[in-house]
Amino acid sequence: MHPDKLSSLLETELPGMAWSMQPSDLEKFGQDWTRFHDPQAAVVFFPNDIKEVQKIIQVANRHQQVVIPSGGRTGYSAGAVATAGEWVVSMVRFNQISDFNAIDQTVKVGAGVITEQLQHFAEEHGLFYPVDFASAGSSHMAGNIATNAGGIRVLRYGLTRDYVLGLTVVTGAGEILHLNKGLVKNASGLDFRHLFIGSEGILGFVIEAEIKLVSPPPNQAVMLLALSSLDAVMSVFALARGTLQLSSFEFFSDRALKHVMSHRGFDNPFEDLHPFYVLLEFDEDEDQAMHVFESGMESAWVNDGIIAQSIDQAQQLWQYREGISESIAHYTPYKNDISVKISQVPQFMQQLEDVLAAEYPDFETIWFGHIGDGNLHLNILKPESMDTAAFKTQCESVNQHVYGLIDSFAGSISAEHGVGLIKKPFLPYSKSAEEIRLMQQVKQVFDPNNVMNRGKVVD
Amino acid sequence: MKILVAIKRVVDYNVRVQVKPDGSGVATDGVKMSINPFDEIAIEEALRIKEQGKADEVVVVTIGNSDSQQQLRTAMAMGADRAVLVETDSAVQPLQAAQVLLKIIEEEQPGLVITGKQAIDDDNNQTPQMLATLWNRPQATFASQVEFTGDNKLNVTREVDAGLETIQVELPAVVSTDLRLNEPRFVKLPDIMKAKRKPLETKVLADVAPDLQGQMIEVLSHEAPQPRSKGVMVESVDELINILKDKGLVG
Ligand SMILES: Cc1cc2nc3c(=O)[nH]c(=O)nc-3n(C[C@H](O)[C@H](O)[C@H](O)COP(=O)(O)OP(=O)(O)OC[C@H]3O[C@@H](n4cnc5c(N)ncnc54)[C@H](O)[C@@H]3O)c2cc1C
Repeated sequence: MHPDKLSSLLETELPGMAWSMQPSDLEKFGQDWTRFHDPQAAVVFFPNDIKEVQKIIQVANRHQQVVIPSGGRTGYSAGAVATAGEWVVSMVRFNQISDFNAIDQTVKVGAGVITEQLQHFAEEHGLFYPVDFASAGSSHMAGNIATNAGGIRVLRYGLTRDYVLGLTVVTGAGEILHLNKGLVKNASGLDFRHLFIGSEGILGFVIEAEIKLVSPPPNQAVMLLALSSLDAVMSVFALARGTLQLSSFEFFSDRALKHVMSHRGFDNPFEDLHPFYVLLEFDEDEDQAMHVFESGMESAWVNDGIIAQSIDQAQQLWQYREGISESIAHYTPYKNDISVKISQVPQFMQQLEDVLAAEYPDFETIWFGHIGDGNLHLNILKPESMDTAAFKTQCESVNQHVYGLIDSFAGSISAEHGVGLIKKPFLPYSKSAEEIRLMQQVKQVFDPNNVMNRGKVVD
Repeated sequence: MKILVAIKRVVDYNVRVQVKPDGSGVATDGVKMSINPFDEIAIEEALRIKEQGKADEVVVVTIGNSDSQQQLRTAMAMGADRAVLVETDSAVQPLQAAQVLLKIIEEEQPGLVITGKQAIDDDNNQTPQMLATLWNRPQATFASQVEFTGDNKLNVTREVDAGLETIQVELPAVVSTDLRLNEPRFVKLPDIMKAKRKPLETKVLADVAPDLQGQMIEVLSHEAPQPRSKGVMVESVDELINILKDKGLVG
């Protein structure tokens, strides 16, 4: 639709609605953290309430226009990216936290509440919202819900899904649904709430959620161990899990560390470089921590170790892990966010290493991830001289080997980042043809005219 | 030369401090305790001086309850050679702390004393100054750089309101540290093991300083700061100016 025609249509059919067709807004709100597409939004809406969202959907249905729910735009699957003149609907104005209930330990969040905002709110009320990751300062709660975000404490606390007790949504057909209404127990038939969690905007809009908070854990200790080999990673995990009350078990490679050090100007936390590192967060227990360290040393898995002596040092150690994504962002990394069963991780990683050596001999590969959940973030860095499109094509051709391997381990091609546009061609490696067909049919039920985030996840 | 570092156990800087419901103090049960951050910098500086070969022993001292052993062990894991705990269950005011530290100085005869410029729990910023006065030795407070000049003197760059000031003091002296002096090191797990075998001497406060003045300050109650009312977001500078005018804050 020509911009002039669109603006007069919006003025007549959506009077009083806040929207922008400024090129800078179209670019900003037309993309997420991925950099493989040129943003091509036609308009960005900034609705104020659920009625306005409903109206946008109705108008979009009438004119066969595609709408894209846009959150904090930190997504890694291009789920919120506009590539074909779609209408982007930014939920930034839904930023209210309300209805805190100390007895239920629940709180209501608007779609646009920043993840960190909820974490702080919980802390101020003596409670804890455990879902956390490096983008928590920008991502929206609805974005987290729509991707079922995981992060660094899944090992102990689970995923975003485990904290959503109620959802208010507007479907692609413009219907308003109040799902589960904050109940802990509710056995009254199909629970659509769980369809909307992880739906990446293809069924409708998440408008508000009722979120469960929990009691904070006791004081946490943070320990960084330098490991001798890839094999050692899961051996140390088994050891630590049997000894400590773990909240996080993260790993990264020496290359990842080098990028963080040079990007952030950090010193090497150890004197030497080691092939792999694991970062553990757990309930403070110095004797048991020492036991893990010493047993690890005896088995020659662990080369060296550091334990934070203050919360400040704990945060510093976390920076070495959480700074990785940002430190490699300017290499336009091709991100693989893959998972297998925890018990399969060692064999999987061994075979993966062989595949990578054979298929990516010239590219720098960075390994890190929430390895305690069986989740590996494998990042391929674009050589500076290479064109982005050519790089993406080459990575995608290697995918058949990597994803073929994942398939043989019954793993997932997307552990927590979603499918969006980037992983859509590879969905058959993780979902059967029947499942994909059923997904399409479910989408049709909630979104009969296919206006919601068309082209993402499934066709 | 021996360096004496005085440290204090405090509620960790990053903990959201809560006042006990009866106002009798700050809740510390189950709360993360750490070395006062300025004191951690003092330890680090002493260790760096020793590593440069300018000192041969670093001794840490603290005045506090028996739990303070934990912070002394941390200091030794960082690299301090030994530790002294002057044990007491009651809170100590700066002047008393300075008197106790003076006794330890008389015993230890250090060539240099380093402490944090203040403890983040009571924010007094008095002990190092009082200690230097009682000891009758020079003081260099708020240090952001410390340099040995070779003739038993120290050049100390201080962070003052107007910027940086460099002064020279003759040793022995008291140096108090500011935040930018250094970045304290991480503690290695093997060093925690080693620290367990380093000497930690416990003395009873009454034995160290029997003639100590009694409590000079009595704390009547603690109260949390009033919660600040929520701010409002304005859309433009004009709107901001209008609001300020309405409130009579600008003419
Ligand atoms: C540095 C960095 C680290 C990260 N680490 C992690 C990690 O550890 N774990 C993890 O899981 N993810 C991680 N991510 C990915 C990302 O932060 C998450 O996917 C996050 O949940 C996305 O939230 P968002 O608000 O930014 O969503 P967006 O990127 O804006 O959108 C993501 C998807 O959600 C849909 N959506 C957004 N809002 C709504 C709504 N109101 N209704 C319906 N659908 C909606 C969008 O259409 C899109 O499909 C990381 C990202 C970065 C940049």
